[in-house]
Amino acid sequence: MTVAYVPDDSRFHRLDPRSKLFLQVAFAAAAYAYTTPRGLAVLSVLAVSCVWAAGGTVREAAWGYRWSAPFLLAAPVVAGVTVGPPWIRAADALTTGLASYRVWIVLLVAASFVRSTPVRESRAALQWLVPGRPGRALGIGVALVFRFLPLLRHDLASTRAAIHARCGAERSVHHRMRIVAVAGIARAIGRADRLATALTARCFAWNPTLPPLRFSRTDVPAVLLATGLTVAAIIAVA
Amino acid sequence: MSTATESVDLVGHESTRNLARAALFAALVGAFAYVSFPVPLSPAPVTLQVLGVFLAGVLLGPVWGPAALGIYLAAGALGAPVFSGGAGGLGHLVGATAGYLWSYPVAAGVVGLAVHRGPALRDLDGVGVPTLVGGLIAGTVVIYAVGVTGLALVLGLAPVEAVVQGALVFLPAEAAKIAAAVGIVRSDALAAT
Repeated sequence: MTVAYVPDDSRFHRLDPRSKLFLQVAFAAAAYAYTTPRGLAVLSVLAVSCVWAAGGTVREAAWGYRWSAPFLLAAPVVAGVTVGPPWIRAADALTTGLASYRVWIVLLVAASFVRSTPVRESRAALQWLVPGRPGRALGIGVALVFRFLPLLRHDLASTRAAIHARCGAERSVHHRMRIVAVAGIARAIGRADRLATALTARCFAWNPTLPPLRFSRTDVPAVLLATGLTVAAIIAVA
Repeated sequence: MSTATESVDLVGHESTRNLARAALFAALVGAFAYVSFPVPLSPAPVTLQVLGVFLAGVLLGPVWGPAALGIYLAAGALGAPVFSGGAGGLGHLVGATAGYLWSYPVAAGVVGLAVHRGPALRDLDGVGVPTLVGGLIAGTVVIYAVGVTGLALVLGLAPVEAVVQGALVFLPAEAAKIAAAVGIVRSDALAAT
């Protein structure tokens, strides 16, 4: 199970995507500015509230990011262990442990954005953030990634199945990597060229029809909270 | 019901083709995150993401290669499950592995420039193996230099600790990826693309 958009009518689902983006960035800035036990305790409450406000659970969000765990769990051990006496430096392990924990709670807030924001709204927010043709190209690209990722994953999985069926697992690692990657690239480029022809045939234009973004009264608490976090972060750094 | 009139600003065929290829390559790098191989001497299974970064530079060049990786990062930040282990979200771009992710567009640009020696694409048959390997090694250096720096900054590790955790354990796998990338570029299967 990965962290993905879930249709719902939670408090976060009703927010403008730009408010949620602002809140995420402000939260990350505050987490970096206040990496102390007390600061992270306050921010943890906020992170859990965000997950609940998006209609999710902490367990579900944490499980979605389980692949980050080896990095984050190993870091305090690597930082704390030294070669030679005293063998373990608790202060170093604690500093890195707090830094690891900070990354976890930033990921929780990111999970609440992903759970509550459909791709079309994210794309509209991105194109609002990056104006002009670069923003539109980025928006189109992002929409195509969401659309084509499952197809390309299926292409790669079928190639791997074919390799296993022919006892390909006995070949060297770089040889297997080469076979999977060649098949993946050839199919991806083939799909891209067919897509480009189809888009041109349908008068593909720079002016897209995206959902209109509108701030409403429900955005006020989120924007105020994000502003407060940003100000707090600036005060800590200054 | 309201109506709006606006002149249609068509996208040229060449731009459409480049944009479609960049977007599909971004999706492919994301799909590569799900393909892992056990590599001897490496404690963790290795995914093909970095191979995707190399090939974006080689096949799309120093302009559209970084553009593809830019699309990849934007899609991941907005929640597409394209990062390691099928994760997504803005948190990854400020998390422990943020340095590696931010280095991808730069590395694709470095590989593209080394191979094509300018913004225009060269015929890959005219690129020698030493040039190709040199470009890929330069790309690897960029990824690990930025990645390890990010790891040290985000997790408060000393430089040596960050190199042990973030580079040494992965380097054997990178050699396999460079060998695979050279084989792919020389492959007949891609000659027609």
